[in-house]
Parts: sequence; C-alpha cells; structure tokens
Amino acid sequence: MVSRIEMRDAFGNALIKIGQKYPQVVVLDADLNTSSKTVLFKKVFPDRFFQVGIAEQNLFGIAAGLALTGFIPFPSTFAVFASRRALDQIAISICYPKLNVKIPGSYVGLPTSRAGASHNCIEDISIMRVIPNMRVADPGDNNDLRAIIQTAVETDGPVYFRVTRLTVDDIFGADHKFEWGKGKLLKQGNDVTLFGTGMMTSLCLSAADQLARNGVDAEVIHLASIKPIDRELIIESVNRTGCAVTAENASVIGGFGGAVLEVLAESHPVPLLRIGVQDRWVDSGGIDELFTYHKMQPSDIASSARQVIEMKRPFQISMSG
Amino acid sequence: MAIILKTEELNNLENMAYQIRRLALEMICHGQWGHLGGSFSMAEILAVLYFHTMNIKPNNPSWDRRDRLILSKAHGSPALYATLALRGFFPVEKLYTYCELEGILEGHTDMKRTPGLENSGGPLGMGLSVAAGICLGLKLKEEPRARVFCILGDGEVNEGNIWEAAMASSHYHLDNLIAIVDYNKVMAKGMVSDLMGIEPLSAKWSAFGWEVIEVDGHDIEELTDALYRARWIKPHGAPIVIIAHTVKGKGIETAEFNYKWHTHAPDPQTTDAMLRELSQRYGKPVEGYSRINDPVRKETFYGGE
Repeated sequence: MVSRIEMRDAFGNALIKIGQKYPQVVVLDADLNTSSKTVLFKKVFPDRFFQVGIAEQNLFGIAAGLALTGFIPFPSTFAVFASRRALDQIAISICYPKLNVKIPGSYVGLPTSRAGASHNCIEDISIMRVIPNMRVADPGDNNDLRAIIQTAVETDGPVYFRVTRLTVDDIFGADHKFEWGKGKLLKQGNDVTLFGTGMMTSLCLSAADQLARNGVDAEVIHLASIKPIDRELIIESVNRTGCAVTAENASVIGGFGGAVLEVLAESHPVPLLRIGVQDRWVDSGGIDELFTYHKMQPSDIASSARQVIEMKRPFQISMSG
Repeated sequence: MAIILKTEELNNLENMAYQIRRLALEMICHGQWGHLGGSFSMAEILAVLYFHTMNIKPNNPSWDRRDRLILSKAHGSPALYATLALRGFFPVEKLYTYCELEGILEGHTDMKRTPGLENSGGPLGMGLSVAAGICLGLKLKEEPRARVFCILGDGEVNEGNIWEAAMASSHYHLDNLIAIVDYNKVMAKGMVSDLMGIEPLSAKWSAFGWEVIEVDGHDIEELTDALYRARWIKPHGAPIVIIAHTVKGKGIETAEFNYKWHTHAPDPQTTDAMLRELSQRYGKPVEGYSRINDPVRKETFYGGE
C-alpha cells in the first residue's frame, strides 16, 4: 500500500495539526521552508513562523531563547546543517539545559534529489544520539511521523527526529501511537530478526517477503525510537531468532545499527550484520540507483539475512566452547 | 538628561563591584580554577545591572516579567556567581563550592544548577542568539516590560554566530535587547588587536542596525546612566549595544591587560596578596584571603595558559 504524499508533506501537515492543538508551538526556518515543507505551517500561522535567514547557528540559539520563554520551537533545516553546522548550539544552548526544542532533520540519508554528498545526511543519528538529554526518532511512515511529533510535544526536553524526502509505504494506521523506547513487532519469525528504523523498516518488510518465498522465516521489528531504544524487545527477539540484521538510511557507524549492537554486545551477543552507508560519502544519483549502489535494497537486506543465519552455528559453538 | 546617583547609591555600587571582585578571586583560589581577567573587567557592569538597572525578584527567580541576563562570555562565571549571591539568589557561603562535583556552581554556567541563571553556556558566540530568542518570545507573549541584557566578550565577537544574531535582532526590531560588550582589549592568548582585530567595533554594530552607546565600563556613573537610558528611554525599534571600555584584570596590577591571567588560579598566598592590594586600591580596610587555612585541592592546576 503506497501513501499518496511524500513524508515531508505529511510533516508540514502534521505541524499544522500540532500548531492548532498547542498554541505554544512555533516554527523556525533557515531559508528552506518550501523544501522542508514548514511553508505549510507558515501559511496557516504566519505569526508563529520565524525566518532567521541562512544562519543555522542562530536558528538553534533563537530556538533555545523561545523555549526559555515557554514556547515549543521546531527549528527546521536540513539534517546535515542541524547535525554539523549547528551542533555546538544544539548541544550546549539546547540539550545541556534540557530545553523543550523539537528538531526535525530534513533530507536524511540517500533520497535528497541528486543533491550530493554535502546534502545527504548520513551521520545525524550517531551525532544526535551521543548528546545527553537528546531523544532520537526515525519514523517508518507518515502516521509514525505524526505520532512522533505528537509524543515529542508531550515530552519535556529536546527531541531530534528525521523527515525523509520520499513517499514511503504505509505501515501504520491513523490511530497509531508512538512511545519512547518502545519498538513494534511487525512480523513474527524464528530464523532471523530484521531491525529497521525510519524508511528502512518498509524495505525490511519487503526483504522478509522475499525471504519467506525461499523458506526463511524472518521477524521484522520497527524501532522508530532510536534513543531510548527498546532493549527488552531487541533481546527477547534475538533470544528466539539467534541472529539479526539492522537497516538504517544512514551511516552504519555509531548510528542505529550501533545502538542495537550496544544492547546485544552487553546483554545477548548474537551474529549481526548492518545495512546502511558503509563509511563513504553519498554522491549524486537517482534514488533507486543509490539504494542499489549502497547495497540498501530489500534484496541486500535479504542477502545479509541469509548470510547472518549461516554465521549462527560457528558463533554458537565459539560462545559455548 | 543624565541619571544622577546619590552619593550613598554610588558608594553602594562601588562597594558591590569591590565585593564581586573579592568573592570571584576567593572562588577561583578555593576552586583552583577560573577566569580572573574577564571576571574583574565586568565587575562594575554586573554591579550596576543587578543593583540598579535590572527589574528582578531574587526570591522569585522565575517571575515572568523579570529582566534577564544572558552571560554569553560564560567563563566570567565567578563574577556572575558572586553577583547572584550578593543579590540574594543563594547564600554567599555557597560560592566556596565553585567547581565541586554535584555542586550548584559549574565552571561554565549551567542554568539547571544555579538559581538566577537564565541560560547555560561556555562555547563563545552563542549567547546573543539565545538572548534574541528570549526577546522574540517576550514580544510574541506581548510582554513589553521585561528586558534582556547580554554580556559579550570582545574576543567573542570574532565568532560568526554573534553577527548572525546581530543581523536577526535588528531585522526583528528587538528593542528589548541590550547587548554589552566587555571590551577589555585582551583575549585568552594575547591582545585583541594583535590576534584578531575587531575595530571599528562601533561602526560594525551601527552597520548591523544597532543603536550604539560607548562608555567607560569602570565608571559607575557612566554605566548607570547608559544602562538606565537603554533600559527605560531608548527602546524605539532597534536593539541597543553598550560598548563598555574596560581593563582585563582591573584592580590587580599584575593581572591588568595581562592575558596570562585570563585563566589562572593563584595559590592561597598569592591570592592573599592580591586581595590585600585590591582592598587598598578601593580604600577599604586591608582584607586578605578569608580561606587561607583551607586545604588546597590536590589536583591543583597552576597552569592555565
């Protein structure tokens, strides 16, 4: 089932809804509102929309100040600029005092319309995840995004969430709820667990279908909440399946795969392979072409799943012996 | 028309500036960490703000209509903590817990720990944006009475973020914002004019659409008048900057205009001699280091350059 609108449009619409419900919600932009789609909020609430120009450090500083006067700011820019250009402001002006700022990172991972390495954000998950007080989420579909925004506003403190510039298949219904530190079991299986975050969950479901046709019974778990992460669900699942593949629309270093590995390495080590960008820049290219090039297609997830299942036996012997 | 202070008020403000310096130095020695030079250069600025200009209620630090101070040069924390204690936000005795683990007074400012702090800081260049955000928020809430003061270092205006904030503040007509540049002429490792010149400073702010006032930052009467005018008379559509010409390390001869005292914790004996010099300069009864018999922290760090 394919959603009719891109996630960024769903983001703009969700901002309007949250703005209607919470008068203290304000949106800030650094000259990207028609790309990020905060323009939709601007049209409805022009007095609660602040343009700061092309000045991302100032974007987050002003957001901190607005939070200090009781507003709930959504300072919006591309994920690359949030996580690289303005990291110090986000860390010290916002996260250190745990201010109530909700940061949407736009144009994440591979699908950014041929913008090239400077605009394809692959490091935001790992950068944001390491900052104390920060919560991090990557929505699996438009309903997940709406639910994350709702929960983010109900949560006191800083939140970073990703918005993909892509039309993502629907996974969840309109009544879907998002909870911090809670994953969703989407398909039960016994041979391998596919842990997906963000848009990659949808590709994990496709991979599970491919695997099922070859007699492999894969479990699929969606972990939109990357920090905090659902330790119990992760451990409970691999306890049954004995191996896992993680999939993220980002670098595999220090990000979502890293977060799952941290849980497993400390509590329940099993073989695990990570799908994502393998420590390289993401250059310009067509979207489908890029997913093939970086080995992030459903067929790549399925192939890693078969490979990791093969790793189970020697791993179990070495663990017991 | 200038604001004329009564002799009694002037004496009180001068005494406060003395007490701020004295306590800041006691903290730096006791904590064996801190920035003396930049704390001493803004002692009069803080004394006038907290004991004359700002509309605040120390017994109700989150009062909606309060004036706020954002210390963008957050390494000046000893002077600000001393000021907050003297103003009654917390007991003066607490100053001797500066930089202690799980204390209320971090090396650089942490608003979650210290009563009276309005932001958290440390990395330079950030505070003016936060101040501008508070000003925008106050305008959005239609609160015309509160003002936001923001103290910047002179070397700090090297930071690009300051000018992003300066541009935005005039764009949004933030006349509830009053920046104060503590122009003490010295950065961490040398003179501002040698390391990265900032002149013509007044013209830069004017070009960014700010109303500029220049004062002698150690002259209580000039400061009081400038801050009063900025606070009560000037607001008419533009942010205001007060360029306060100061002396880094003002009050102790060896530290004046000396970058080696930017970050430097003196030992108790040196501190004692410095405080005696300070009291004599102020015409006070000679007063040395009050904690000279306290044990010095083991991990003493006398470096600092």
